[in-house]
Amino acid sequence: MLRLTSLEVVNFGPFKGRQTVDFRPEPGVTVFYGENMRGKTSLLNAIRFALVGSVLGRGQRAVAFENLMNLEARAEGERHFEVSLELSHARGAYRLTRTGKAGPQGDYVPGLYLERGGQPLSPDQALHEVEQILPKDIARFFLFDGELLQEYEDLLHGESDMGPQISAAIEKILGVPILTGARDSAKAALDRAEAALAVAAQGDQKTREFGTQLQSLAATRDVLTKDLFRLEQDLEDLRGRKAGLEAAMRRRERFAALLEKRDRLTEDLDEARTKLAGTAEAMAAAMAPAWAALIRPRLVTTAAALGDREQTLQAAVTRAQVLRDLSHGHDPDCPTCLQTVGAAAQARIRTALEGGTDDGEARSQRELAALRRRLEALQMQIDAANPEALRLLWQGEEDMRNKIYALEGEIKDIAAKLGGETESELRGLSRDYDSVVREIVAAEEGLTATQGKLAENAVYREGIQRRLDKLAGNQMEAERRRRDMAAQVYGLFSEGVHAYREQLRQVVEADASAFFLKMTTEKDYAGLQINETYGLTILHKDGAIIPVRSAGAEHVVALSLVAALQNNAPLRGPIFIDSPFGRLDGGHRKNIVQTLPGMADQVVLLVYEDELPVQAARETLKDQLRAEWGLERASARHTRIVKR
Amino acid sequence: MTSEKTDKKTLGVTQPNLRVLQALSTEGRFATDIDAAKFAMAHAIAEGVGRGTAEGAGTVWHVGSFDSDGSLKAMIEALYPDELYPYRLVEHLINEGLRLMDAGEALPPDVAGLVRAAAET
Repeated sequence: MLRLTSLEVVNFGPFKGRQTVDFRPEPGVTVFYGENMRGKTSLLNAIRFALVGSVLGRGQRAVAFENLMNLEARAEGERHFEVSLELSHARGAYRLTRTGKAGPQGDYVPGLYLERGGQPLSPDQALHEVEQILPKDIARFFLFDGELLQEYEDLLHGESDMGPQISAAIEKILGVPILTGARDSAKAALDRAEAALAVAAQGDQKTREFGTQLQSLAATRDVLTKDLFRLEQDLEDLRGRKAGLEAAMRRRERFAALLEKRDRLTEDLDEARTKLAGTAEAMAAAMAPAWAALIRPRLVTTAAALGDREQTLQAAVTRAQVLRDLSHGHDPDCPTCLQTVGAAAQARIRTALEGGTDDGEARSQRELAALRRRLEALQMQIDAANPEALRLLWQGEEDMRNKIYALEGEIKDIAAKLGGETESELRGLSRDYDSVVREIVAAEEGLTATQGKLAENAVYREGIQRRLDKLAGNQMEAERRRRDMAAQVYGLFSEGVHAYREQLRQVVEADASAFFLKMTTEKDYAGLQINETYGLTILHKDGAIIPVRSAGAEHVVALSLVAALQNNAPLRGPIFIDSPFGRLDGGHRKNIVQTLPGMADQVVLLVYEDELPVQAARETLKDQLRAEWGLERASARHTRIVKR
Repeated sequence: MTSEKTDKKTLGVTQPNLRVLQALSTEGRFATDIDAAKFAMAHAIAEGVGRGTAEGAGTVWHVGSFDSDGSLKAMIEALYPDELYPYRLVEHLINEGLRLMDAGEALPPDVAGLVRAAAET
């Protein structure tokens, strides 16, 4: 049983200076309350850093050491962060300390110090002991958040790459490797016994040929077995690489989408620029008479005034012409009253006209001509001036320019977001992925072929063994008995591994179902069904499988699995859970909180108060609530861990 | 002075106004600087600039090319009936219009704003 006694952080993440948390020895739940950005995940990471030496950020990516240093402390000249855990374990009482110290280049160098029973251990011993206290592969069952819980869904999908890794980790926490290790040792003993028998057979004339064949087959088997291990290792590495590439591709999906958007915007931009260039000629033509538009009202007013003047002048000129015609008798009738103008009247008109001058009339004629020329010029400009059409043209151009400006801005923003990411990197990623998939297929085919050859080899060897047994005399009896015993032991362990796995699946299924029924609020669910790879499916009371489940249900199932594993694992320890209730309703939250004390002796919850109100936690946990701590803001880069 | 008794055969722009004229030609999408100069002249008229003469204006255009059909002269005579030297006045108005449009070093003349204001009148 692993139990944490205390935690001490120094300048780690948001925790500036030296801060200590003591954990109560009694079984129960400790709750840390902290709002977003106060350091809940950092606290979980501090524990993870101490126990396994690495820290995970969002997306389960490792965080660089230099980013673990408290920023305020760094600004004040500090160059060292540290996390210490005091813990009790079946192997003894430990003080485990990990540090990060800034090197001359500014990079942080990790350090590991381990004391057992107050005695410091050598670096090699420390590494070995830490791996025994909490193997890295199984840390996921003790330290987790919602994101990690989500990964358990992969156990349901045989084709996923994460699934086999988690299955292997589950078998590790359940202690299966102890049994599989014993089986493999028995197999090695059997191989040695068969080799000894082959050597003995070579000593007899009757059996020499069979002994030689057996030796040859054994040598082939050894080569094939080595190939098999190598292929299995290769396959594991390739699957790991594939999972890594998939994760990288998922992270870059956003970049791929950005690149696509940038290309689309660039096309729009080119189109808008072409359109704008196309308007230049029309714009120039429209702007030639634009000057008249500026003074159109004045042109109109002046034209109206000139029009009046033209009428007046025209009337005067016409009147003078009519009178002259009458005075000369060219037209005997008055054009106004239509009466005949007599000679006396004509004489009177002549007299009156003699008072005037031809110059006056000529001046009027000249003035009228000039006025008409001006009026014509004004009218021409008035006709050409169209301020509203110009305004629309300019508005259109301005809209187009604004669109271009906005497009340029958006493209620039995308370029900034893309940062160092380039299309070639993305393409390279895709190429690597295709390549690793092909390699996996090839490795799987190689594995199957090697397994087939090994099976064939075993059949040949058994056939020769049988024939050898018939021919062999008493001198080989001892070797035969040794081989038979080794075969029986190997068979026993092989069956044992199978039986133990089957038994484990049954108990994990039963325990997970029990935890699930405690936590789910759906009364029609009957429990969980386990598959070959420890994936869990929800079962309805009517026996039907629930094929699709929500993210919330996924959390409940994953917590049920973790609890069941804790119940059946040789190594039991504390559970640290970061913000586990984000996707769960009030009913589920209450049920889970009630169930937590049954999952492990030491449970530590990292939550924000809206997620789990203080009063609700107290009422639900009652005397199982061991301690309450608060993560309180001192500044944006400094959080204090305060006992409540 | 003799020059005051005859109208001008050429039109010009003062040195400081040349910069504004170039900016106006570009900003106003004008095909020629004659169109831009007429725009500046109209701006001065719209702003109520009075009669006067441009001092220090160098030769830029011949009136034959600036007002090939004489309609500009006729229009000036209509707007300023007592003006004896319409082209002299045109030159003055061009330079005054450019001066009014001079937004300093950084900003080009606000042609779009003038067009918008004209449409709203």
